[in-house]
Amino acid sequence: MTQVITETRQKWQMSLPRFLTAEHPFPWLFPASALMVVFGLYPLFKAVESSLYRRNAATRKLIFQPEFNWMKVFQDDRVWDALFNTLLYTGVALTFQLVLGILIALLLDSDRKGYGILRAIMTLPLVIPPAVTAMMFLLMLNGSFGVISRGLIAMGLMPHNFSILGTSSTAMAGVLLAEIWQWTPFMVLIMLAGLRSLPKEPFEAAAIDGASAVQVFFKLTLPMMSKVISIAVLIRGIDLMRSFDYVKVMTDSGPGTATETLTSYAGRIYFGNADFPYASTVALFTLILVILTSSIFMRIFKVKL
Amino acid sequence: MELSRSRQLLRDVLAVLVTAIFAFPMFWWALSSIKPISAMFDKDRVVWFDFEPTLINYAVTLFGRSRSQLAIDDGLGMGVAGADSYDSRQSIIDTIIVSVGATGITIVAATLAAYAISRMQFRGRGLYLNWVLGQRFLPPIAIIIPMVTIYKMAGMRDTDNLYMGYIGLIMIYALINLPIALLLMKSFFDDVPKEIDEAAMIDGASRWTTFTRVTLPMVKGGIAASAVLTFVFSWTEFLLSLFLTTDIRTIPVKIQTFVTSTGNEWGFITALGTAAVIPSFIFILLVQRHLVRGLTLGSLKE
Repeated sequence: MTQVITETRQKWQMSLPRFLTAEHPFPWLFPASALMVVFGLYPLFKAVESSLYRRNAATRKLIFQPEFNWMKVFQDDRVWDALFNTLLYTGVALTFQLVLGILIALLLDSDRKGYGILRAIMTLPLVIPPAVTAMMFLLMLNGSFGVISRGLIAMGLMPHNFSILGTSSTAMAGVLLAEIWQWTPFMVLIMLAGLRSLPKEPFEAAAIDGASAVQVFFKLTLPMMSKVISIAVLIRGIDLMRSFDYVKVMTDSGPGTATETLTSYAGRIYFGNADFPYASTVALFTLILVILTSSIFMRIFKVKL
Repeated sequence: MELSRSRQLLRDVLAVLVTAIFAFPMFWWALSSIKPISAMFDKDRVVWFDFEPTLINYAVTLFGRSRSQLAIDDGLGMGVAGADSYDSRQSIIDTIIVSVGATGITIVAATLAAYAISRMQFRGRGLYLNWVLGQRFLPPIAIIIPMVTIYKMAGMRDTDNLYMGYIGLIMIYALINLPIALLLMKSFFDDVPKEIDEAAMIDGASRWTTFTRVTLPMVKGGIAASAVLTFVFSWTEFLLSLFLTTDIRTIPVKIQTFVTSTGNEWGFITALGTAAVIPSFIFILLVQRHLVRGLTLGSLKE
């Protein structure tokens, strides 16, 4: 009986075209590819297609006019302001996260008792929903009863009845605070892993030669960590450029357009004016920016993921 | 490097202090969830510990009790309407369904594809990896805008049929998590020597048997890590569920509905927010060993 089954199976398998057998990569790649085609490539293609149409706001008709939205992107001052905000947001957050990340990793890199718990606590912010983190800082930055605001007032650093998120000049700093708090632990974790993987010998040699801690850091630790640092900067940088949640929840691009980034502007065009061709164009502009900067970065720093 | 005693003490103090600064927002959040309204909104001072702790926020959001009824029971007489819109039980169930579903699909698709990429030589292998990586770099907003239209047409967005809504969210969450899971699984497969597979196949095992009986059991740690990361990222996702569905409110979206025109319901916001992060905390501590590898898409190993 079993033999019959085996024989039938063998016969059946023989009759399958080769690309459907387990020897061929096709069946293995099929589920992942199908997912990426249907829910990734297809909508992306739709976005590109719709960016080629002009939407008439009055008649709600779409007219094929390929250059219209793309010309509009380059002439729209709000795009340039949003681009500036995106780059500012990315640059400031990345700098703080990287510097704090390395310093805190150096501080927590110890085998002494209790440091394991400190490192575990440090990872926790990573898994809080960004939308919840944004609410946390909304609560703490509240002008009248927020604990950070009250602290700043008590220290005489801030006038009464001042709203950090409600003032154009400081709103971005408030949003950045939430972003930096949540993702500095990402850098800490990666830098800790990097520090742990360093060979011991060069450091022992440096200690014998009497090098100072600062010398060791800049001449040994930092250069040996360059691969780890560039990978961390790449991943974080990309996520910062596509960041959305903090701005949406904390200021909704406001006050006015003070914290408007490219992604939040695209969302605003879509949900505010229902101009989905132009919203798609701005979103695609963001995608092009991400691809360009990340490939230039990967080329310069020879990063391979 | 040996430190002198006083410098070691200074380092310990500094390490605790820095960690405390990072832990503070979480502590404050949890503390706020058990504060009565009077303590939370004190305009004259920040209330630390001098308040009567209350569980009313949890009773309303997690157990569906009516706030006005609770207030009357306590003899407070502070009747506030609109109680059932703060009941978040359905949101919690929805988020669990969507996150578990997305995790299942992601892990199956990612493991199969990662095995092929790690073990088989085929044309376009490098290109395929770039496609996966490119998917990770894609700003979600670029696919959301057409997706809203597609989902509307497919009856997955604003429908009374919850199942269609679930499927819609599950598939899009599977998509955004696929690159991380796939690259992470590939790095785990790469760690298993090819000779082991080859030995099994020389012994007569088919490719599939080799995969399920030999290779898969050796990457259990990787599957656990990918599953946890996928689950956590689905659990915390906000943008896609905000735009792509109107019937299902995952927890991060539900919390935003407590922001009302008459003021933010900070008690309910903090209570649900605190409850929502506890599962993630537990899961992430379980796979801490592989966390760095997951966050760097498999390129850094601890």
